[in-house]
Amino acid sequence: MNTEFLALAQMAVGGGLMGMAYALVAYGFQLTHAAGKAVNFGQGELVMLGAFAGLSLSTAALPYWVSVSGAMAVGAALGWFVERTAVRLALQQRNEGWILLTIIVGLFAVSAAENIWGREDKPFPTPWPEGALEFFGISVTWPELAIAAGALGIMTLVELAKRYTMAGIAVQAVSADQDAAELCGIRSRSAISLSWAISGMSAAFAGTIIAPVTTVGPTMAASLTLKAFSVAVVAGLDSSFGLLLAGIALGATENISGFLLGSGWREAPGLILLILALALRPQGLFGKKIIRKV
Amino acid sequence: MFAGVSLGMRERTAERIVRITVFVGLAALPALWQGQYALGLLTLMAVYGVLLIGLDTTVGYLGQVNLAQAALFALGAYGTALTVQAGATLPLALLAGIAAALVPGAALALPALRLEGPQFALSTLSFATLTIIVLNELESVTNGALGLSIVRPPLFMLRLNATSFYWLCLVALFVAWESSQILLKSRFGLAIEALRDSPTATDALGIGTLRHKVLAFAWGSALAGLAGGLHAMNFGYLQPAAFGYDLMVMLLLGVVFGGRRSQWGAFLGAAIVAMLPNLLSNHLLFSVLVSLGCILSFIPLIRAAISRRVPFFRETAPAAAMAIAAILAFFVPNMEEWRKGIFALFLFAVVVGFPNGIAGAMATRLYQLIRFAPLPLPPATGGVPSSRRSSGVALRLSDLCKSFGGVKAVEGVTLEIRQGETLGLIGPNGSGKTTLVNLISGLYAPDSGSVEIAGTQPARGSLMSACSAGSARTFQNLQPFYGLTALESIMICQQKREKSEAMGWLAAVGLEEKARIRCSEMSYGDLRFLEIARALATRPRLLMLDEPAAGMSKPDIFRLVDLIASIKQAKVPILLIEHHQDVVAELCDRVAVMDGGRLIALGTPHEIRRDPKVIEAYLGSDNTETFEQEAIPC
Amino acid sequence: MKAFRFILALLLSTSFSSGAMAADVVKIAVTGPFSGGSAPMGVSMRDGVKLAVTQINQKGGINVGGKTMKIELIERDDEGKNDRGALIAQEISSMGDIAAVIGTVNTGIAVMGDKYYVEKGIVKIITPAAGSASMTQWCIAGATDLPIFRFAAHDGIQAQMVVEQATKMGCKNVAILHDATNYGVSGRDDLVKQIQKQGGRLKVVAIEKFAIGDKDMTGQLIKARAAGAQALLIWGIGPELAAVASGKQKLGFRVPMIGGWTLSMSNFIDTAGPSGNGALMPQTFIEDESIARARSFIQAYHKAYGVTRIPSPVSAAQGYDAALLLAEAIREAGSTRPSNVKASLDNLKVTVKGTITDWKKPWSKWDPSNVETHEAFRRTNTVMGKVQNGRVVLANPADRIVLEGKMLKN
Repeated sequence: MNTEFLALAQMAVGGGLMGMAYALVAYGFQLTHAAGKAVNFGQGELVMLGAFAGLSLSTAALPYWVSVSGAMAVGAALGWFVERTAVRLALQQRNEGWILLTIIVGLFAVSAAENIWGREDKPFPTPWPEGALEFFGISVTWPELAIAAGALGIMTLVELAKRYTMAGIAVQAVSADQDAAELCGIRSRSAISLSWAISGMSAAFAGTIIAPVTTVGPTMAASLTLKAFSVAVVAGLDSSFGLLLAGIALGATENISGFLLGSGWREAPGLILLILALALRPQGLFGKKIIRKV
Repeated sequence: MFAGVSLGMRERTAERIVRITVFVGLAALPALWQGQYALGLLTLMAVYGVLLIGLDTTVGYLGQVNLAQAALFALGAYGTALTVQAGATLPLALLAGIAAALVPGAALALPALRLEGPQFALSTLSFATLTIIVLNELESVTNGALGLSIVRPPLFMLRLNATSFYWLCLVALFVAWESSQILLKSRFGLAIEALRDSPTATDALGIGTLRHKVLAFAWGSALAGLAGGLHAMNFGYLQPAAFGYDLMVMLLLGVVFGGRRSQWGAFLGAAIVAMLPNLLSNHLLFSVLVSLGCILSFIPLIRAAISRRVPFFRETAPAAAMAIAAILAFFVPNMEEWRKGIFALFLFAVVVGFPNGIAGAMATRLYQLIRFAPLPLPPATGGVPSSRRSSGVALRLSDLCKSFGGVKAVEGVTLEIRQGETLGLIGPNGSGKTTLVNLISGLYAPDSGSVEIAGTQPARGSLMSACSAGSARTFQNLQPFYGLTALESIMICQQKREKSEAMGWLAAVGLEEKARIRCSEMSYGDLRFLEIARALATRPRLLMLDEPAAGMSKPDIFRLVDLIASIKQAKVPILLIEHHQDVVAELCDRVAVMDGGRLIALGTPHEIRRDPKVIEAYLGSDNTETFEQEAIPC
Repeated sequence: MKAFRFILALLLSTSFSSGAMAADVVKIAVTGPFSGGSAPMGVSMRDGVKLAVTQINQKGGINVGGKTMKIELIERDDEGKNDRGALIAQEISSMGDIAAVIGTVNTGIAVMGDKYYVEKGIVKIITPAAGSASMTQWCIAGATDLPIFRFAAHDGIQAQMVVEQATKMGCKNVAILHDATNYGVSGRDDLVKQIQKQGGRLKVVAIEKFAIGDKDMTGQLIKARAAGAQALLIWGIGPELAAVASGKQKLGFRVPMIGGWTLSMSNFIDTAGPSGNGALMPQTFIEDESIARARSFIQAYHKAYGVTRIPSPVSAAQGYDAALLLAEAIREAGSTRPSNVKASLDNLKVTVKGTITDWKKPWSKWDPSNVETHEAFRRTNTVMGKVQNGRVVLANPADRIVLEGKMLKN
């Protein structure tokens, strides 16, 4: 096997694994969009706060799994909070204020994190072994593997819960038709709150598994939000596992194009593909076709 | 309640007078408020004003979240800077800046045309990121991250110092403002607003979405380019990184903050985003603003307490945010560190407290206090004139089929409407009536079969083409242009822009009294009549009415029957979908009945009433008695 | 309404009282990014300045023309954004009672904003921004009587040392990695220039770029490795440098990393962990309490801000010394007028004992053809530091003498 090919494979694998992180954050967008047709543009800040919460808990000498669960609880509370403060009223008034309000809540979160945890990027401790694994000459680190496993795991869990628990079915009913669901006695407001809480929880979880790779800092998720948003929209805002494919594809494309075209251009081909994909399939690659009804 | 002072002039005149006063005041300000800093802030405000008026065209009027404005601003700035380096004069350089933003901006509108909502936002965001990458990487042209330094060129031999450059920016702002106002109040601008409320209706009425979207985007981009050019000359140094996501968020905040769909809103927003973050770095001013904001936000709470009711969220949330801001500002030792957080709380309080922005809130107040002289209206002319002349049959459908997934919504429908004929189309819910109308009007492309309207075959699945062939329709679920008045709604549907003719159409449907009322404030029944007037204003060769009487009160139904009768009198062929059987019986020459996507009967109302297949379709078999009772409207 | 009037009255009274006091204080502005990505440098610099000012004020203040005046600091957060920086420069330069300005981390802000200080003749000491352009722009513009002074080992010196170091370590082929900001790109240009200047003994086999926020550097590293690089010459800031270090470890690519002073930032050292060991960088200051000269400053900083490590020790120490030098200049000028302060900075008479070294006439009269006239640091008072087990130590123990301040610049 020639070195050029091996290098490309290495890039693709690394990018794909990072792409799963995009997909996991994108999943948070999808959860809230399904239930309430709004997304949290401060999702990245929830990722960051989740990571910081996890960091604080593990510096308090709690075991890794406890701090991750704690961070997820904090994330769920924050997700609920964002929905309550920034989204609910704007959606009732049918204006797009929520876009800005979620951004504003995110701005405040960054400022608060700067003051509470400091402006420094900090390493995130993990129980994983140091060093890298090698598969066919491609090296992969343990935290990268954890991202892949974590993303798959949490998405599977939430999807199962959506299908097989009453609350999950209620959320699905609200996503399908809010008015009809209310007529069936489902409290759509609670269902929307629940989906925001779960979205916040998945964001915080994403924070704890991404942080060992990216470090924890107030601005750690700034670029992640935009990438995740791209993945969510390109995959289609109603396809869960389409996200994973789109995320892996975007991550790998970025890395390979950075390698071939020079690192300054690494994002460009992905962006061009993205615009083309949207122009050809506005509903997203895996989204259902929208039929205009009048 | 206080009725308000009557001002003996029109709103537009009053607005102009106020605006000119403000501009004169702004121009005179450097004489009073001295110093480079003041000038710097005012210049920045003027530049951002131009930029935000442009952004408001897409965000406010077109109603789409446009995240490319900062990048277009950058393109304008680089276009100007590079031409200045090449030795261009100031006006030429500004033109180059406008072109540098206009061309890519209009090009971006093309792929973004089919997109709405998050998809539109993402395509503009991708464009913005791409632009910054290109500016960063083309080092030989843009000098990349090292940045581009330029010296401000003279304006026709006149060296511009800070003050005269500020005046130049004010002039640019005034021109941008005035021309945006003229453009957006023109037929083209009204069409942009109509498009925001219902792109389906604009297409179906032949107004068109494509060119208006491109125009709105192009206009916004041109202003971004102009603002970029001024920005480049103002600071004299450009770096791609300065035009990133942060700036974009700031600009969006400005537009929402100030108030959408208003040049005043854009201007106020610009003043806020240009000045506030900088002014807030002054400790004293910061404390004053925080205290003022805190007091203001508590007033509604106190009012609620006095009238003994639980305050609304939109009252408590700003107060809570400002209270936290005040605590951070006065009781935390390192207030400077929290400055950004306090700023965010400020923004939160304003966006929640004034969902329509500051300009929106001020306008509401103003309309309570002042009554302006109303716009004069010309007398109505016309009435329901005869349809455009055409030969052959009005509509010919042959073997039309359409299915969604496995569901055959329309299956093998063959049908003709003759000139001057009114054909009723009835059938149980879900029988495919509306789908048939959607196929004829071009909203859906048929799977097979053909549509011929007044002798021409429109392009498959094109609303515009069906409309230009002569079809016009109303919608079962109303598609009004909420942002427009009744009169404006009619005017944009007409071929010629004659107000008196538009008044004629309104008179025909009995709405001439309500010409100046916004659709968002009209009643359901009125909107139904307005939709018919809209359709008539296109002078159709085939008028399709999709359940016009649905949800109407009884007197309104009588009015409707009279109206349709008069349209029929004028020999306009009509396809009428209706559940009220007496309406159908009274108006229709023939009636077609659909069930399960198929045409099951066709004949005079009398024949249909006796047709056993029809009775079965409606009521199941052997229940002939109740049918006629059911058919009577309740 | 009553409460409102009360608060207004309170505010008005405070504003008047501060106006009345203004005559007795020396106002110094500190600007830099105190929030956002480059905040660790900005905040450390500001806190260094604050520390010096607190110490001076505790001793009563500065004797200005026979009157003892306290120093008042005016902080402005430029957020690392050019426009903000330029507006802040406009604001400060139109305040009218500012004696001098210390700060700026981002070279772009210096390029965009410093012209407003120059127009008004306001003294500014640039620290810790190291990009060459912030001083060379004035050579290109041919400015005379420049009130801008730099107090940081500029990239020219740093690039020279990095290239010397790589040569000394016997490297033939090197790769240059830099971030996509003004700092990184101008660092790259300085390195390429220095390699030519030093006879081209090094061959640049790869030049790779990374963006702020990038965490995966394997692509750049694989290319550098494929090109046969024996050392990485690197110009970036903490988080991305750490990503390069961990990428190297992941790929098992063991070559030395040599780069700008930012390799000593705690967010590089902490994040990179063991993978950062051995990274080499020019230093004007090392957070090592065993160095007698630095001890008291380090201890005072830790105590004042409740930390055990300074986020960016170089920025903090430079901020501290810059404030000391400025205070001395104001004393010598006997006035807070910017033109007088500038004149005495051009020709400082007293040697100032700083935490970095003893500063003896660090600047001289500005000469547009020689940028060194307004550069305080020379090759001789800069040493090579090395990351070792979470700390920066001297790469060459013999250099200790430089940091003790025994070797003064000539």
